[in-house]
Amino acid sequence: MWFRVLIALGGLAALAALHRTLIQGLDRLLAALDALFDALRGKRWRDAPLALFLLSPAVAILGLFGMAPLFYAVYLSLFNSRRPDRPFIGLANYSRALTQPDFWKSLLVTVYYVVGTIPVTMMLSFLVATLLYRIARGRGFFRTVYFLPYITAVVAAATVWAALLHPQDGPVNALLVWLGFQPKSWLLESRGALWVFSGGWIPADIGPSLALFCIMLFEIWHSSGFMIVIFLAGLTVIPRDLEEAARIDGAGWFQATRAVTLPILSPTIFFLLVVSTIKAFQAFNSFYAMTGNGRGPQNTTQNLTVYIYANFYEFGRIGYGCAVATLLAIGIVVMTAVQWRLAGRRVHYE
Amino acid sequence: MKIRTVVSAAVLAAGMGMLVPACGSGGGGGEFRPIDPNAALFWDRQTDENRELLESIIAEFNAERDGIPVKADYVGGYSEIFRKLVTSIQARTVPAMAVGYQSMTTVYAQAGAIVPLDPLIADPGLGLSEQELADFFPVVLETNRYPTLDDGMYSFPFCKSVLMLYFNKRVLAAAGIDAPPRTWDEFLTQCRQIKERTGKSAYAVAVDASTFDGMVFSMGGEVYANGESRFDSPESLAVLKLHETLGQEGLAYQILAHRYDDRSDFAQDKVAFFFRSSSHRTYTGMLIEPEAWGMAVIPQADPEHPKTVLYGPNINIFRTTPEQERVAWEFTKFFTSPEVTVRWALGTGYLPIRKSAAQDPRMQAFWEEWSYNKAPFDCLDFACSEPNVPGWQEVRELIENALAGVLTGVKTAEQAAAELKQGADAVLAESR
Repeated sequence: MWFRVLIALGGLAALAALHRTLIQGLDRLLAALDALFDALRGKRWRDAPLALFLLSPAVAILGLFGMAPLFYAVYLSLFNSRRPDRPFIGLANYSRALTQPDFWKSLLVTVYYVVGTIPVTMMLSFLVATLLYRIARGRGFFRTVYFLPYITAVVAAATVWAALLHPQDGPVNALLVWLGFQPKSWLLESRGALWVFSGGWIPADIGPSLALFCIMLFEIWHSSGFMIVIFLAGLTVIPRDLEEAARIDGAGWFQATRAVTLPILSPTIFFLLVVSTIKAFQAFNSFYAMTGNGRGPQNTTQNLTVYIYANFYEFGRIGYGCAVATLLAIGIVVMTAVQWRLAGRRVHYE
Repeated sequence: MKIRTVVSAAVLAAGMGMLVPACGSGGGGGEFRPIDPNAALFWDRQTDENRELLESIIAEFNAERDGIPVKADYVGGYSEIFRKLVTSIQARTVPAMAVGYQSMTTVYAQAGAIVPLDPLIADPGLGLSEQELADFFPVVLETNRYPTLDDGMYSFPFCKSVLMLYFNKRVLAAAGIDAPPRTWDEFLTQCRQIKERTGKSAYAVAVDASTFDGMVFSMGGEVYANGESRFDSPESLAVLKLHETLGQEGLAYQILAHRYDDRSDFAQDKVAFFFRSSSHRTYTGMLIEPEAWGMAVIPQADPEHPKTVLYGPNINIFRTTPEQERVAWEFTKFFTSPEVTVRWALGTGYLPIRKSAAQDPRMQAFWEEWSYNKAPFDCLDFACSEPNVPGWQEVRELIENALAGVLTGVKTAEQAAAELKQGADAVLAESR
């Protein structure tokens, strides 16, 4: 018993000594770094070493999990991964992509999705946020209600939507029939939504398919909560006196919104535009969960991300999938640069 | 200054990017490694009761011998297993074995990731005797020989089933029909009769390439011959035309991909028919009373010379270590032994793949339990396997698009057949 107590006390003393040594060592190390930075600060490098030192964790994480996979994908895209020897084929995967009708069709689906969801979601969210901003009571409640879809898991929500739109048992079709309309195939319909809703007046191959239209509706519903919250945050920082001054000068709601609210909100709008465009180009979960395979009827919901996934995982075309992924990444960068160039000029930060 | 900063950042990033592949396996190939060095990992898709049975069989196998154990790992459905394997092969880290279809095996073989089984089968110590090989039903072995891979055996039969017609007796009775159709003409007539008398769609269609292939076989045709697809044949066109008619007249409806709504709609008397593998017998039996439904050979062009499609996964043994490969093969042999194949067939609804298993009294008793239990086994004699050539995995997607296209009226049968033929031949040519 006493022997164990003695060992424990000895251990504690050893730990204390070790702790002291460690603290002293750390002190010396920090002092040496201070001296090094002081010495460098006087020269051309100034604060660069400290900046690099502080940035290194972020650079390491981004490099390892962000940049490295990106460059590895570019590297893989130069090989034919379907052969055991994986021969180097240069840019053949890229030229193949650019000559494949499926690639262009997927790009068109992506464009339909981006163009069909972002402006509508932004306008709708702005309107709802403006209304919420104006009501005094229950704003928190409604903000929570609108935000709920966004915090719901995409796959869970998309599965519920697929059940609602079920061609045989879905409540949406039941309602349509009750109202005296024909039931629709929704997520199984490859013909254009415009064709369906115009009663066949508009050609079936114009515009997004009805299946894609359903996914777009889902995305608008799902994303608007996030945009509403961001718009509300932007609206609350607008000085009331500016709007009141505009009102005194005779401006109506529309004029005040156009001349005061929107210019001040422009950084918020620009941020949402850039972020949601990138997100829309990368959309995958809702496509996959709602259609069962992402591709949908006659591949009419196969956007570029689903196309990459199909080639990568279903057909084993790793190199080709990487090539299309690289093209998509370049496309997103170009699109974002264009947005910065065009829309960035209209943003007022003061 | 600004340009210099950007350029140096880009160079730094590019350097980092190039460093990773240089450190890793890269694009130049290399040896495969086992995912688990301490166990022969088996990627499988069985769930529920089937999984429990598989686990108990594996436990028996592990108990009977020394060395590294077999460990089953549920990875998802066949497609999920395939997707995961494609990336694992790319990473050069693979399981010891996995279940898969022939079209998937060709992809693994092309990447050099699987072990050819002929040397193992012929091995005097580890292999199978002439007598043992003769005990397997020929079709289940033949389907694992790959013409584009020197006719070598690159997979081994694991679970086998056949395409069957499931019919709901209550719906048929309501339409005044007392027996399921034997020919495709009868099938169409019965579908029309059901629609007319009950107002219901007769058939819930799970659009599936294997079902299409089985229908073409039953029409007396082929889907692939001499390096080309046969989607322009009269039999393929007949199958597409049948679906066109079913869609146009509202006799059938399509269900969502990767779901089993056909089974549940069938159990709720919403439809009279669905086509699925015989392995769905167990699941269907959980939803509907035994006296209310049955299984039959799919309708035929000529019932005297029937054909259907052989389903069911095979085992692929991956290039890992000599020890893991040997254990994987020993397990494959154990699993397909007469005793285990009987237990597996009784527990899961899959077909016994050995002749001696079919003679087992327990098997015979099972077939007498319910009048339709033996129907799938009777199809084994004339079941045909699907093409096992590179690129077929991609062709399957084209088939499903063609079928859905005619069913929903987007394409005519002729248009769909022509597009399918052209698309499939292009894929097959590219995959050679």
